[in-house]
Amino acid sequence: MVDISARLAGDEPRSSRRLARDLAPIVFLGPAVLLLLVFLIYPLMSSFRLSLLAWNGLGHEGSYIGLANWWRLLHDGLFWAAAKNNILLAVFSVLIQLPIAVVLAVVLDGLGRGSQLLKILYFLPLLMSSVALGVLFKNFYDPNFGPLNALLEGIGLGGLQQDWLGDTHFSLASVIAVICWQNIPFYMVLFLAGLASFPAELSEAAVLDGASQMTIFWRLKLPHLKGTLRTGALLAIIGSLRYFDLIYVMTGGGPEGASELMATYMYHQVFASFQLGYGSTVASAMFIVVTVIAAISLRLTSRLETEV
Amino acid sequence: MSAKRASMLSALLMGASFAVFAGTAALADDVKTITEWDLQTTPAAVKVIRDAADRFEATHPGFKVADTHIQNDAYKAKIKIAFGANDAPCIFSSWGGGPLREYVHANQVLDLTPYLAKDPAFKDRFLPASFGAVTADGKIYGLPAENSAAALIFYNKDMFAKLGLTPPATWEDLLKVIDVLKSKDIAPFALANKGKWPGSMYFVYLADRIGGPDAFANAVQRKPGGSFEDPAFIEAGKRLQELVKAGAFAKGFNGLDWDVGAARRLLYSDKAAMELMGVWEASIIRGENPDFAKKLGFFPFPSVPGGKGDPNAVIGTLGDNFVSVSASCPYRDAAVDLIKTLTDDKAAAGRLADGRAMPLKGIKIEDPFVASMFALISKAPSVQLWYDQELPPKLGELHKDTTQALFGLSVTPEAAAKQMEEAAKEELK
Repeated sequence: MVDISARLAGDEPRSSRRLARDLAPIVFLGPAVLLLLVFLIYPLMSSFRLSLLAWNGLGHEGSYIGLANWWRLLHDGLFWAAAKNNILLAVFSVLIQLPIAVVLAVVLDGLGRGSQLLKILYFLPLLMSSVALGVLFKNFYDPNFGPLNALLEGIGLGGLQQDWLGDTHFSLASVIAVICWQNIPFYMVLFLAGLASFPAELSEAAVLDGASQMTIFWRLKLPHLKGTLRTGALLAIIGSLRYFDLIYVMTGGGPEGASELMATYMYHQVFASFQLGYGSTVASAMFIVVTVIAAISLRLTSRLETEV
Repeated sequence: MSAKRASMLSALLMGASFAVFAGTAALADDVKTITEWDLQTTPAAVKVIRDAADRFEATHPGFKVADTHIQNDAYKAKIKIAFGANDAPCIFSSWGGGPLREYVHANQVLDLTPYLAKDPAFKDRFLPASFGAVTADGKIYGLPAENSAAALIFYNKDMFAKLGLTPPATWEDLLKVIDVLKSKDIAPFALANKGKWPGSMYFVYLADRIGGPDAFANAVQRKPGGSFEDPAFIEAGKRLQELVKAGAFAKGFNGLDWDVGAARRLLYSDKAAMELMGVWEASIIRGENPDFAKKLGFFPFPSVPGGKGDPNAVIGTLGDNFVSVSASCPYRDAAVDLIKTLTDDKAAAGRLADGRAMPLKGIKIEDPFVASMFALISKAPSVQLWYDQELPPKLGELHKDTTQALFGLSVTPEAAAKQMEEAAKEELK
């Protein structure tokens, strides 16, 4: 009696532990896999399927037209112009956001404890909703009432006044400036986290060896951030290729499609022109473009990392 | 121990979720909810709808109206998603025309003809022309609800008086007014064309003045000789660009957003003198800036030399918004009662108090300002519906895109007309 109960008591935890070990991956991965299936894989598949239809998105499904939508997409100048705008956004995001974010992070990191307030202040743009930010900057850029043109006038640079959002030459650049302003804090935090793991002894040793702050930055801190920079660049590129919100709020892709991105073009096809089929083609093409460019940038940056 | 606690927890959770289910089930049994979506966002306009909903709830015990008020451009996207996802509201607003017909052809909208046949007294209150935009294949799919909305040119009377200007009746007069205003550094027209539809009004008026309503009707119905490359559309584009080159529009017009009040702000601050806009603008101004409303006047769009169109014709819609019942609504009869309540005499009186006149026969308007607007509209020999609402959506979008490009001087009137005609050949078979 005692024997059995002792054995049971000894056995039970072991078998339940084995069970737990076998079940654990399923329990932990299950929800994630399920969410991915429902919200990523299924929509992806069904938008590929919808891209083969001529359908306005209402009532019963439209008619199957094979690859006609894809053929049209290949010859659609507006889509490729939008894709080019996405690439411009990606290039400028990387070239503007990352360097400024690195500088801010290094400076704030060097300030030590006193930088708490500044960190919070610099982080604020990221906490604001894009729609509110869009409306704010629409007023900022307003050529009749906006402070930007008034400021230019006030400091004697009236000649530089522009119709920032209504001129086809400036609308995309004007919104890119706001996108950069909003996103710099994100990369700043990323780099601050990267610098947190930078060993203090290293810079102390460098100082003893007579290295200047500049040398420490270029020779020690920047190489230390290499991996974080790579992550940041990839995030900026992918984010830019799928970008939607500030463009939609501030210019709606206009005027005359001058600031149209792939995502806003898709939105216009589906919701304004009632072409769910063609809009799905645009969405699927967007997925392919993003995947290909992300893969290429991964490849390129990984080579950089091994060489340096 | 911990396993026990976990099982207790899960039992509790399950109990709680059952309670929640039971709760919703009980609610669903007691109250039948009719969802209603519209795009009225000013307090006065919302109150008219809520009051009608209260009257309906009083006479239909057990029903509850869930009214939702959504801003213009957001509404257009939201309603489309709702129908596409088979989750349409029972009652929805539209401008009739091409987009509503898309929903009708997809069997998403309830045919109101039999309901109206049962209650001819109700139907006969409306001006007959007001059903044009909601009629498809001889059947009626909506009731005119909000306003008789023509586009007129609103202007600052005080400013005109100070500069010795009078409302221009002809094209030459208009150009002179523009010159005087320009010389005083005042933008002649406030225009916020980010959404593209405000600029489209200029093109539609010009085409109507130049070619009369038939030019557009023939092009849409693909009658022999009817074409979007008709000289009327090309000249409309030329006149429009003549205005742009004369500096008739406030700075930055193609980037300003009408939805956030960018055009009215120019009027309020005396930076612009006129605005071509639907008559709803007058009621918004009265609510938003009563002081400025006292200075507000209006005049019809001027005539164009050699034009075939009647200078009394207007563009706009008799109804502005129309209310329809979606085919998927579980309580169709009650929903029809509700849209009748939304357009009954009490609702009409409420809208009138808000400066908006429903297209009803013999409507008595005491407010002299609204009365004179309505008089202008009712003497119009024809009411041309906005092109972007009359045309099928794809073509309507193209019309707005090409017109914004005309405003931006980046396309010639001939090229814009050609683009429209090529798309029309595909879309309007």
